Amino acid sequence: MSKKKLYLLLSIACATGYIWLIFTYFNNAPNNGIGICIFKHFTTIPCPSCGSTRSVISLLNGDILGSLLWNPFGLILVAIMAISPIWIFYDIIKHKETLFQSYTRAELFLKRKWVALPAILIVLANWAWNIYKGI
Amino acid sequence: MEAQKVDMFIMTNAKFFGSYQINAIRERLLALDDSKWAMISTLQLKDPTTSLIVSLLAGGLGIDRFIIGDTGLGVGKLLTCGGLGIWAIIDWFLIQEATREKNMQKIQQLLF
Repeated sequence: MSKKKLYLLLSIACATGYIWLIFTYFNNAPNNGIGICIFKHFTTIPCPSCGSTRSVISLLNGDILGSLLWNPFGLILVAIMAISPIWIFYDIIKHKETLFQSYTRAELFLKRKWVALPAILIVLANWAWNIYKGI
Repeated sequence: MEAQKVDMFIMTNAKFFGSYQINAIRERLLALDDSKWAMISTLQLKDPTTSLIVSLLAGGLGIDRFIIGDTGLGVGKLLTCGGLGIWAIIDWFLIQEATREKNMQKIQQLLF
């Protein structure tokens, strides 16, 4: 993937994330039955990242334990959504590609067997927990 | 390399690449040294049809992206329910071309 494409994609993803967050925050959507997850609509089983909107909103309300209980992946999303716009902005202003280099390095890191296997297990465990919770 | 070998390679592997790339690959292969044939012929290429099937079945979890080696995008799709479902649907149409692009990158390391 090229640098330009990555930055564009990340920006679009972040913007969509913020719009979705604002929409749900003011409409109280997670609790009124509006679900966006297609996987859940088709199978009635929650997907590994179901509940992350509720997790982020709990965190915004200051409830860290609640957000962990909804879905720990929400915290990763918060970190990405908070850091990446600043990082992209910094790279554009300074004419650098630090984010792109870090992304490439992170990709290589995740492809190692001893990193990928535990990561897959964690995702599966979280998925099982999601189904158990009945999010 | 011999034209016969190259044509055989092209015939068996044409489906892994975009039609606009085939000519360039053929020319590079013809100019290539014979010693690289073993490496070229044992190259592990991903089938675009397989990744389309995976994308249709498990695209919402990002598994299609993981399979073709786009780990970063795979994580992105996994953490966002397939990009709120929209990205997953867009990828049904993009994944085959993305797979061919990845295959091209793989063979390019040997060709150039």
